[in-house]
Amino acid sequence: MPSKKSLHIESSGQLCIYCGACVGICPLNCIYLDETRITFDEKICTRCEICVKACPVGAIEIG
Amino acid sequence: MASDLQTDVLVIGAGPAGSMTAKWAAKSGAKVLMIEKRQEIGSPVRCGEGMSKDWLQDVGIKTGRWVNLEVEGARIYSPSEQVYEINEKHAGNEVGYVVERDEFDKQLAIDAANEGVEIRLKTAATGILKENGQVVGAKVKQFGTTFDVRAKVTIGADGFESQVGRWAGISTNLALRDMDTCLQYRMTNVDCDVRYCDFYLGKVAPGGYVWIFPKAEGLANVGIGVQVSQIKSMAEARSYLDAWIAHHPAYAKGKVIDMVGGGVSIAPPLKQTVVDGFMLVGDAARMIDPLTGGGIANGCIAGKICGVVAAEAVHTGDASKTVLDKYEKGWRVRLEEKLYRNWLAKEKLTTLSDATFDKIVDALRGVKLEKLNVHNILKAVHEKYPEVTKEFEAFL
Repeated sequence: MPSKKSLHIESSGQLCIYCGACVGICPLNCIYLDETRITFDEKICTRCEICVKACPVGAIEIG
Repeated sequence: MASDLQTDVLVIGAGPAGSMTAKWAAKSGAKVLMIEKRQEIGSPVRCGEGMSKDWLQDVGIKTGRWVNLEVEGARIYSPSEQVYEINEKHAGNEVGYVVERDEFDKQLAIDAANEGVEIRLKTAATGILKENGQVVGAKVKQFGTTFDVRAKVTIGADGFESQVGRWAGISTNLALRDMDTCLQYRMTNVDCDVRYCDFYLGKVAPGGYVWIFPKAEGLANVGIGVQVSQIKSMAEARSYLDAWIAHHPAYAKGKVIDMVGGGVSIAPPLKQTVVDGFMLVGDAARMIDPLTGGGIANGCIAGKICGVVAAEAVHTGDASKTVLDKYEKGWRVRLEEKLYRNWLAKEKLTTLSDATFDKIVDALRGVKLEKLNVHNILKAVHEKYPEVTKEFEAFL
């Protein structure tokens, strides 16, 4: 299996404003917002990058 | 280990739609528990705070200290910054209040509590309970402890980032063109006009608009929504907003004292909002007006219907889809046609060039509309620029 690109959600607060835009747009429902922490399920995520676009402040990076 | 709970109606999420649903279910005789994952209802605010007001009385919401100020009208700015003014006298009640959204949400929660609703904060749903295909409650986590809440009817009112609906088996996935990503600054030391809510259209905000909602003299919410399908690189919503502010001296001199963001669905109505034992309401059910991005009114209107139907299901002892379909039918009668029409209008508007927006605003400036709706706007534009409305003939 080809290795997946890495997805990084900066949710320590330097960029992330915990708005939930990424959570609502994720087509696989695999991003979770817990007040001041955002996590995603590595195994479910396909790196479709939709959340990267949906993030208003650029807190999600893919590489 | 907290013990499991039992209730008639479980409402997940204490925003406006959740509180309205909880209030009306309790008012109709059901035992209601409303859970909220945050530690404070209404905070942090994720809202532009502009709101229409003609629907409030109908759903039993009284004005209170949540009313920040009452505006006289709205001003629509074309890309070349020609202004079309909508004032209350000839726009029905389309324009209305700038609100303190945290106070508004708290007021609705108080109204719910006054009807006997039990409220638990710091309580998040982590899963749905199902038995024989029917939703029978939720798994919740409060202060780090997980337990089950069993309910005859479960309601998902968990907002734009709803997961509860999807857990229950309702598809709420959005196409990229059906979502705007939004960012807003609360700015002080700006030259805003407290009489108006302002909207700037065109390439300054592709597939959305820039809004200025005044909070007080010199203080305003300055925000932007951009259609996700038109975004090309990271943090573009912020770049567009910063660029707009930089080009407007009345705001460029201001200082940002608060910042909020969020997603707004600009989607067609969902095909389904009900399954056995479960209903979805508000932003979670994609009930936001696709043209304006406003979600409070629709969420509250649907919430009232949802609450009444939930209580009915409790009283009859039948929470099957057949019974809950009353809610599905009820909200569609009230909201569906306008949601669909406005979604179609949005689909067109998001493709227009700046030159076309200029023509539309120019045409509107020359006429007085009895009531502001998509049909009347197109009629006015058609008279002056028939070529512009060619694509919109279905609406005429």
